[in-house]
Amino acid sequence: MNIESEGRRNFMIRAIIGIAAFIGGVVTVPLAGFGILPVLRKKAAAWSDAGSLRDLQVNEPQERRFLETVKQGWQEEKVERAVWLVRTAEGGVRAFSPSCPHLGCGYRWFSADRQFKCPCHASVFDIDGKVLAGPSPRALDALETKVEDGKVFVKFEVFQVGTAGKVAA
Amino acid sequence: MIKGLIDWLDERIRIRDLGKAFSDRPIPGGASWFYVLGASLLFIFTLQMATGILLAFYYVPTPDHAYASVKFIQHEAPFGSFVRGLHHWGASFMMVLVALHLLRVLIFGSYKKPREVVWLVGVGLIALVGGFAFTGYLLPWDQKAYWATVVGTNVAGTVPVVGGVLLRIVRGGTELGALSLSRFFAIHTYILPWSLALLAGLHVFLLERAGAGGIWNAADRVPYKAEPLFPNQIFRDTVFILAVFLSLASLAVLFPAPLEPQADPTDSTYNPRPEWYFYFVFQMLRVFEGKLELIGTVILPGVAGAVLMLIPFLDRSPERNPAKRKLMMGAAAAAVISVIGLTIAGARAPIVNEPAVTSPSVLAGRAVFGRSGCSSCHSINGRGGTIGPDLTHVGSRRPEVDWHLRHFRDPRSVVPGSLMPKVDLSEKELRELTDYMLSLK
Repeated sequence: MNIESEGRRNFMIRAIIGIAAFIGGVVTVPLAGFGILPVLRKKAAAWSDAGSLRDLQVNEPQERRFLETVKQGWQEEKVERAVWLVRTAEGGVRAFSPSCPHLGCGYRWFSADRQFKCPCHASVFDIDGKVLAGPSPRALDALETKVEDGKVFVKFEVFQVGTAGKVAA
Repeated sequence: MIKGLIDWLDERIRIRDLGKAFSDRPIPGGASWFYVLGASLLFIFTLQMATGILLAFYYVPTPDHAYASVKFIQHEAPFGSFVRGLHHWGASFMMVLVALHLLRVLIFGSYKKPREVVWLVGVGLIALVGGFAFTGYLLPWDQKAYWATVVGTNVAGTVPVVGGVLLRIVRGGTELGALSLSRFFAIHTYILPWSLALLAGLHVFLLERAGAGGIWNAADRVPYKAEPLFPNQIFRDTVFILAVFLSLASLAVLFPAPLEPQADPTDSTYNPRPEWYFYFVFQMLRVFEGKLELIGTVILPGVAGAVLMLIPFLDRSPERNPAKRKLMMGAAAAAVISVIGLTIAGARAPIVNEPAVTSPSVLAGRAVFGRSGCSSCHSINGRGGTIGPDLTHVGSRRPEVDWHLRHFRDPRSVVPGSLMPKVDLSEKELRELTDYMLSLK
């Protein structure tokens, strides 16, 4: 068989490896990006209508449910959300995410004790969301609110649980 | 490091023997740029697998969601346009490279003894590639996808006796719909890739058993002129693959894969056209019309396929030099010229439906018609319900704008005893719907 000189043979082998690496690299970046990047996209929070302000009494927390339009990839869905709303004496409205910052359980307002209590690991919060007892690493997660035409609007967001800082999930 | 690993493996499973058996396969008469086509097809197939699997991350094969998911891939997902572009243009490249590979083997006489079975498997591979192309372009569920597939599947319906049953099997029902889409998706992403991978493996394995054909001139097929597959031939393969890849990637970037409006089964103004590589079939259907249709749809393709398979058994002389195989070369040239001629004629075929001069308000009206559920009672061009009157020619029957407006607001005011409910739409929508009604003549 006609075997090439060592130099030419080595050149061909290097060219084969080089071209394969080039094509592999050029293809891998967009393919991996296409497969992974959309998952890493943070969803932009949007205002949702959380009901009227009138029915909300000062310093009496109320749970409100509403439908948020969520776009997942190509699909738009209406997802049911809940928030705790507190009307403050100054006339503003505060909103808390419905998940306990410890491990994400749903907590409730106990009006007799005037405390929020989590049923899972007994974290306790005051009306401002401050931790009074239990394992929760941070205060309840406040959400942005605004009042327009007598209606409360909430920017619903989901946060990572179990961390000391409030980080969007 | 790598050498250590190879030593370790070699000591256990004699991996160097394997590598040597592969790399030392002799190419009779030496490596050549003519032999790069098969390797480039393997490359394109691998790339189609990679891009196809990733497209399936987002694609949904149902009529409700297919179009939206492809639109998301095309316009929103990072690199989506590029990945879909690679897959789209990859199909065209596959077609061209398959044709060139077939011609190369034909001209070099490489199909002759002892490689007849390699040829047979190759013909099977061509059929699979055609199946990929046909099932692939229904998936975006846009106008082109829908209408080209309506026409394409109807071809199956022209087969004598079993045509009707065949059509139902292909479509998963009498009409093109949800069942057709999921069935085409399953064929495109499960049946065909597995079949192609198995047959392509067999193709290469059989070639390995029979030995590469090399150059046609027996005097050049002597041991001292042979060159090893690796690196001599693989080097040429790789450089050609680089050229193929660069042109494919440039096309994907410069000419994104098209996406027409969503499939609209009620649209009667669309001009269905297949992808360019099916133009020759499309043109054949135009040539053989009416009673002769069967020639174009079943007889000619059947005969062509059978002849292609039988070539190594019909042409058994050991002569491989194309200059001395005038009959075979003449037949091949005639076949190539006819396919190219039919393709060009198909591309130039006049448009049957005038390009839609539809006004925006008629289009808007059609959309109102679609989303208001009118078609559950009324048919247009044979599609829709039968409870209410057929609206295909309602514009000629009822040309008065006022009549329609009054009718929509309160059907009984103009048609006593009408069962039609009042249409609850805005003034603008009623006007649009009326314009659409008047356009149906």
